[in-house]
Amino acid sequence: MDVLSQLLGGLASIFTPINMLVMVIGLVLGMLVAVLPGLTLVMGVVLALPFTYKMGVAPALILLTAMYVSGTYAGAITAILFRIPGEPMDVPLLWDGYAMTRRGEAAKALGWSLAAALIGGLASAVVMVMLAKPVALAALQFSSPEFFAIVFFGLVSVVALSGGSVVNALISLCLGLLLATVGVDSIYGAERFAFGLPFLLDGIEFLLVMVGAYGIGEVLTRLYSGFQSEAAADAGDGSRFKTALPRLSEIVRLKWTLLRGTLTGIIVGIVPGAGATVSAFVAYGLESQCGKNGKMLGKGAPEGIVAAKSAATASVGGALVPLLAMGIPGSGATAIILAAFLLHGIQPGPQVFVSSPALVYTVFASVFVGVVGMCILGYFAIKPLCKVLDAPEAIVSAFVVLFCFVGAFAARNNLSDLYVIAAFGVIGFLFERFKFPIAPLVLGTILGPLAESNFMTAMVSFDNDWTVFFTRPISGSILGVALLGLAYPVLRAALRRLRAPSQPPRPAHS
Amino acid sequence: MLERLRAVLPHSLMLLVAIGLYLAAMRIDTAGAAAGGRIGPDFWPKVVIVFMALLCLYEIVKRLLLHSSFTARGLTEGLTHNPAEGDAAAEESPPGREYPHLLWAGTALIVGYVVVVPWLGFFLTTTLFLAAFTWLGGFRRPLIAAAVSAIGAFALVVIFMRVAYISLPLGAGPFHDLSTALLALIGVR
Repeated sequence: MDVLSQLLGGLASIFTPINMLVMVIGLVLGMLVAVLPGLTLVMGVVLALPFTYKMGVAPALILLTAMYVSGTYAGAITAILFRIPGEPMDVPLLWDGYAMTRRGEAAKALGWSLAAALIGGLASAVVMVMLAKPVALAALQFSSPEFFAIVFFGLVSVVALSGGSVVNALISLCLGLLLATVGVDSIYGAERFAFGLPFLLDGIEFLLVMVGAYGIGEVLTRLYSGFQSEAAADAGDGSRFKTALPRLSEIVRLKWTLLRGTLTGIIVGIVPGAGATVSAFVAYGLESQCGKNGKMLGKGAPEGIVAAKSAATASVGGALVPLLAMGIPGSGATAIILAAFLLHGIQPGPQVFVSSPALVYTVFASVFVGVVGMCILGYFAIKPLCKVLDAPEAIVSAFVVLFCFVGAFAARNNLSDLYVIAAFGVIGFLFERFKFPIAPLVLGTILGPLAESNFMTAMVSFDNDWTVFFTRPISGSILGVALLGLAYPVLRAALRRLRAPSQPPRPAHS
Repeated sequence: MLERLRAVLPHSLMLLVAIGLYLAAMRIDTAGAAAGGRIGPDFWPKVVIVFMALLCLYEIVKRLLLHSSFTARGLTEGLTHNPAEGDAAAEESPPGREYPHLLWAGTALIVGYVVVVPWLGFFLTTTLFLAAFTWLGGFRRPLIAAAVSAIGAFALVVIFMRVAYISLPLGAGPFHDLSTALLALIGVR
């Protein structure tokens, strides 16, 4: 009852004129960044961050949350209609959505996508509200070894859930953790890795690493492979495309697919560092293995759309749980929402449920309203969204670079930060080129200080006894799961190698 | 052999970075912690550096000496291809075109922007950057590009300095005067 009344309070705060305007702007911007060539959802949310510096904390969070929610949907439209995935999470929609379009069932495919996003999004929002407070209350009982274990789990999960080399992901993570140590150490006040440069004494803001590696790095990567000089697709006027929502009986027929997709999205979303893309692929893979119609996936089956889309949208609610309850972002976009909290002097985590409950429930309410608003916009805005594909990538990318610079500069009004993000832009490009994932680097920079401070506090509190991390039941269990998650890919690869018939050595690729 | 050396280049560079950082970590002041018998501020970075160096060494030895292609991949491996197309589709990715000269020029423009903006100010540098980057990106309609650059830069000044109240570089000398005049025009004092 208490939760419901607080949620109603959050909804009331959303429906004030200013916040509602911010919500609509956020939904529209989220859809645009998901469709614009050369922009991704995470980049888009990063670029919106500087606009929130002078806003109140509630409108700032509403704007970013709305962008996050709607950014998980709009790419589906272009994936289904033109075989252009707005986001990596929309790739599974190419396989079944575009196949349905070629059969003349585009409206039906769009309808399934919209219904799956609505159901998955709302279900995950309910779970988020029910789960976040108990998790936060449980986290209040935790001590530093447990917090270290949770952060360690988050760091390891982003490595284990990567699609590429685990070793490269670990190296990327180590580099992120080291970047987080630059500056004056918070416990002893010792100077670390400043190399006599005054601006490094303040440390390297994770925002600069994110903006540089994700924003400028992505622009350089695309420039290296050549921008599209012409429109990405013949979008026409887009008016021939309509959305045909599925009937209730059809939805009931796919109830298990919806349930599997939504649950997968929520669970994967909760795991730090996973996010919507991993959710969509895992749900699709699960559906092809366990679904009644699994063998038809990839050939234009609605189940493929429903599984991927419900999971991608459901991951939003899941990813906000660890962010709000423990201060650990569940995805790239929630890392930026974390930055917005920190810029306004609020540290998300168990205490925020005690100190600023109204703000927490405003974020919850913005997910509910955002999901519904996203679907309304998604239903009516197909034509303008298709026209966005005509935007030349060169112009969009030039503005992306400028927004990155302004975002970095505005945070501290320090010109040195521009050099830092330019450097991380180049590093981001090199990482992409040599197949080192960027997500562990960024997550290492964000969670590094939390990991180190909890590790050091535990060591000081328990007389330098490192076994405490394993002997306490909760931290021991979490660390055990984390280490198993890390060992599993290695064991799986070793077993595959043992089972495979001997073959001549081939050049190594990472 | 050259191919294998190229394959270990990134890890060799990372290893060099790790060695350099370890040497820097040895100079961290640990006097405060040593007096209390506690682990010092150098402990955490050193652990991370050693782990990173070991990982790099493993990759170098594996590729260069053992000629092994053994690679443990994350749990989402294999999920990113259409199951209906089979495993072969996942292996095949058509070689994409590469434009290193565009990359170098783009990087030079980005670094150039950072170097020049304190002197020319935000408006002028942004106008020039937009025009140059758009041209570099292959957009070949000069009138539209010029209009987009000038109007875009002006719009960014209005959005950031008039609406969001973000203080952006005004430039030096005559460029400072130009920026001030522009700000006066949009009502920022």
